[in-house]
Amino acid sequence: MSETVGGEDVRKEMRVFIEDNFLYLDPDADLADDQDLLAAGIVDSLGFVEIVEEVQARYAINVQDVEITEENFGSVDAIARYVERKRAEP
Amino acid sequence: MCGIAGIVRPDPGDPVDEQALLRMARSIRHRGPDGFGLLIDPGAGLVSTRLSIVDLEHGWQPLVDDRSGSVLVYNGEVYNHPELRAWMRTRGVEFRTRSDTEVVHALLELEGPEGLGRLNGQFALAWWQPRARRLTLVRDRFGVRPLHWSWRDDGALVFGSEAKALFASGEVSAAIDMAGIDQAFTLWAPQSPQTAFAGVEQLEPGGLLVWERGEIVERRRWWRAGPEQPGADAELEPTLRDSVAMRLRADVPVGAYLSGGLDSSLISALAQVEKEGELRTFSVAFDDPAYDERAEQELVASALGTSHHVVVAGAAEIGDAFPEVIRHAEVPLVRTAPVPLYLLAREVNEHDLKVVVTGEGADELFWGYDLFKEVAIRDMHRDDPDRAMELLDRLYPHLGASSRRGPGWTRFLLEIDDDDPLASHLTRVRSTESVRAFYRDEVRAELSVDAALEPVRDELPSGFAGWDPLERAAWLEVTTLLEPYLLAAQGDRVAMAHGVEGRYPFLDHRVYACSVGLGGEEKLNDDEDKIALRRLADELLPPSIVGRRKQPYRAPEVTPFFSASSPAWVEEMLSTSSLESVGLWDHRRVEGLLRRCREGRATGVREGMALIGILSTQLWHEAFIATSGPDPAETAAPAVRIDRTVDQTLSEVP
Repeated sequence: MSETVGGEDVRKEMRVFIEDNFLYLDPDADLADDQDLLAAGIVDSLGFVEIVEEVQARYAINVQDVEITEENFGSVDAIARYVERKRAEP
Repeated sequence: MCGIAGIVRPDPGDPVDEQALLRMARSIRHRGPDGFGLLIDPGAGLVSTRLSIVDLEHGWQPLVDDRSGSVLVYNGEVYNHPELRAWMRTRGVEFRTRSDTEVVHALLELEGPEGLGRLNGQFALAWWQPRARRLTLVRDRFGVRPLHWSWRDDGALVFGSEAKALFASGEVSAAIDMAGIDQAFTLWAPQSPQTAFAGVEQLEPGGLLVWERGEIVERRRWWRAGPEQPGADAELEPTLRDSVAMRLRADVPVGAYLSGGLDSSLISALAQVEKEGELRTFSVAFDDPAYDERAEQELVASALGTSHHVVVAGAAEIGDAFPEVIRHAEVPLVRTAPVPLYLLAREVNEHDLKVVVTGEGADELFWGYDLFKEVAIRDMHRDDPDRAMELLDRLYPHLGASSRRGPGWTRFLLEIDDDDPLASHLTRVRSTESVRAFYRDEVRAELSVDAALEPVRDELPSGFAGWDPLERAAWLEVTTLLEPYLLAAQGDRVAMAHGVEGRYPFLDHRVYACSVGLGGEEKLNDDEDKIALRRLADELLPPSIVGRRKQPYRAPEVTPFFSASSPAWVEEMLSTSSLESVGLWDHRRVEGLLRRCREGRATGVREGMALIGILSTQLWHEAFIATSGPDPAETAAPAVRIDRTVDQTLSEVP
């Protein structure tokens, strides 16, 4: 885990996580940071929750149920924005 | 309960090899370990392996009718045989034995297939009429007992309880049928008549096939599930009690499976009331508390005062038995759930018991599965979304609260096209079809979910789209899961592997008629399911069991194959070279899955199904496709050997 996680680091780490854990089904595919993970079928409902749990564990963030939305977890970009926002909270 | 098999040829001058019949008998001897019989006719041969349950001394097969010369081989039980016998006596029919086989044979002689509706039971039979050179194959209403057949290029028909009997004949080769495999990865199992083997069909539930002189001259259903059933206004309680009482009829002791849920507990309670003497009950327990129902099982056993036996299915036992289960199931699986039931049947056999009653069928007839609640919740969501979301949150509790969070979950359950007649089952299709993502690209290009579902759509009853959505769901559940999977891989196959006969009181056609006659409010209301059964159970079972929410029967999927005690063959079966030699799976995709399994990350339903699907396909291929040569021939002496090519007299070997 990085101690000074900026948006780009989160992007990179989550991209690797998603590639390792979900994109093995499509080894030749490129994952775009703005790609809609659910709509593109890259993750299913359980995969979505797995990403949430990974974010919680990796960045020590307490994710509330109401925050589990596509706006916050629907793409690599969305996750990076969410993590930055949460880390900026007092 | 037995196994049956045979070969009939168009030309009576074309003999059937006795060695082929002996190999066929050998291949299904587990279904009938008490002995076997065979009959050789000009251009025909039939075998039967016997599990003696009724009229132990007599009742051997094949059974010959002295007057017509017709022959019956029959696998199963007809429970109302005493009543039918009494009725046929009034029609001048005489009987030599007490066996139900003779009653079925006499009924066929008296009324032909038109009389099948009189039978209350579970059976598969082959009726050979040599003068007409006609073979009639029949399967019971719900398809409790299996029956496979293959129509050869030369017009011959080869049949058997299990497909392996056909391969043992030496006349049918085992070859992969991707349409059947793909249905397993869409709906959990090939849908009859489809099987996983090219050129091999399974007779449909309630199906009848007539072969005559090399041609199939008739093929139809003599019974169909659906809302129009005679006797639908009968009262449930006396009908179910009578069904249980009938299913206790046997000349050997009858035990019961006890899962700890409402259905098997209710059947055990009714059996205890009807039965003389102590009831023996048998349960599967798990090391993993997520699957274990031991506390509830013990509570029921204690309340009923049964002699209770428990088999603990650990990961190691499940892994070790998995290849044998695939060999018996004859189809790739997406679940390990049949394995503990295989271990349970072995335990029953070791206790010298041959017959058990179970609660199978209640969830389909009385809307006990969460799948039915999904349908109701989607309907409710239009008018009362808040209440619907509250109920949605209670579905599938075994997945754990954390797995049921987020937009993917609600979208998965709610975004279904309700105008699709298969709407109720599309969530299952969508989760199961994820196994198909592991196919090689070339394999995937040849297949589609639409093609796998097309035979189901083709078989929908007329007016189906106008039925109540829950009635549609119940029909689909009986048709697409009960017979193809629950009664097969998880029922007949794993029980008969150890010569154990399962009997299903809920699958008495009279109980089914009652269930379709009941209003929906007697089955499912808001969050409460199987309402009529719970009312019936109120006076018979502890309150905690009567009110118990259904715990889906599941077994561990990843740990049996990825832990310290995992069998050595797992890595070999999933190696790149093995995967490439079978040719179905993309090894890079499978490697990704295996990595997640090894890291303990593959905890979801879909990855569990994918692992089991891939592993079972590899084992299935090794057991049937990659093996060379048929089984060895039966070497024991037959109890009955009838050779009518030599003379027309019946000779019984002592």
